[in-house]
Amino acid sequence: MYLSVRVDTEKCIGCKICITSCPEPNVFIFLPEQKLVEVNESRCKACGLCTTVCAKEALKIG
Amino acid sequence: MSKKIITPVASLAHILPEDYRALVEKGPHGKSVGIKDLGSFKEITEEHPHCAGCGVSLGVRLALAALPAPEDTLVVGTPGCSFFALSQTAVNYSNTAFGNQNSVASGLKRMLSIRYPDKDKDVVVMAGDGGIADIGLDMTLHSWFRGEKISTIMLDNEVYGNTGGQESGMSPEGQVLHMAPKGKNFKKIPVFEMARTAGCVYGAKVTIASPKRLGMAVNRAILLARELGPTYVQIYTPCPTNMKFSPADTLRIAKEAGKAHYAFEEFMTEEAALRIAAMEGGLEKEPE
Ligand code: SF4
Ligand code: SF4
Ligand code: SF4
Repeated sequence: MYLSVRVDTEKCIGCKICITSCPEPNVFIFLPEQKLVEVNESRCKACGLCTTVCAKEALKIG
Repeated sequence: MSKKIITPVASLAHILPEDYRALVEKGPHGKSVGIKDLGSFKEITEEHPHCAGCGVSLGVRLALAALPAPEDTLVVGTPGCSFFALSQTAVNYSNTAFGNQNSVASGLKRMLSIRYPDKDKDVVVMAGDGGIADIGLDMTLHSWFRGEKISTIMLDNEVYGNTGGQESGMSPEGQVLHMAPKGKNFKKIPVFEMARTAGCVYGAKVTIASPKRLGMAVNRAILLARELGPTYVQIYTPCPTNMKFSPADTLRIAKEAGKAHYAFEEFMTEEAALRIAAMEGGLEKEPE
């Protein structure tokens, strides 16, 4: 199984900080209605950068 | 690339890859979207072969999102890690012989001004420190001396990343690298200061850890180059693979550099300052 970042939808507040930390294009998708981010797991390289900027600890590599 | 060119005829749309269709339907062409809107539009760059956690690919991604008019932009690059993502980008792109980028960009800009006298066509050089500060330094400087209306963006990872970690003119003094086993024994080339002396009307030094500032700098540089003359943005884009730190540490390294040798700096001519004030409704408070 490939590693990818996963979003904990209980913890994410949709602040969008993670989106500008990711070196990969079109991985994060912002869902304005739910105020959440979604991840295209097949594009993520599991570098972990986004997990270092999320203040809510909503992102985990797994 | 205008939206018209990429829009497929209706009867063929269904056979196109999903990414292509997404670009047509949700791309940034003709809209005023920028870094703050990332995640809400289809980015013009796509899956690329940069290493995980690469600072250069983040720099490219952010700079591309900050283009004021991607449909009327021509990006000129040169070999090195910087072009891995650029060659996967839906923007008119030209690669060049190593170091030639500012000469090629000068010619293309002049040609576009003749061909489209009533339209702004932005010519933007995006290349690494090797291409700009070492191999192409003479051509970079001469494009600035000549006052060419192009923007030059350096993705500075302070190393030759693509060839395995050799010393670059932009590596900091003392850094141990291939071909510098005892540490580099001269200073980082002051390209930022040289840009001011050589005639750039605007310059900025920024790291990938400050995306809003990066966007502001790229935006200002491109809009000012349209009317006034050459502009320069130097972006710190650390390389985990060759500097041997964990890919998850790239932003921490960039933040630390932002507090040390890569503190945010801008210079601009008086005319550029007036133009920015007019464009942005007064010199705003700098974003974080
Ligand atoms: S940084 Fe964390 S809280 Fe903010 S949008 Fe991303 S995952 Fe959600
Ligand atoms: S782990 Fe890396 S590649 Fe994956 S979403 Fe986070 S920043 Fe992007
Ligand atoms: S070698 Fe360094 S600069 Fe090149 S793609 Fe890998 S991490 Fe990025």
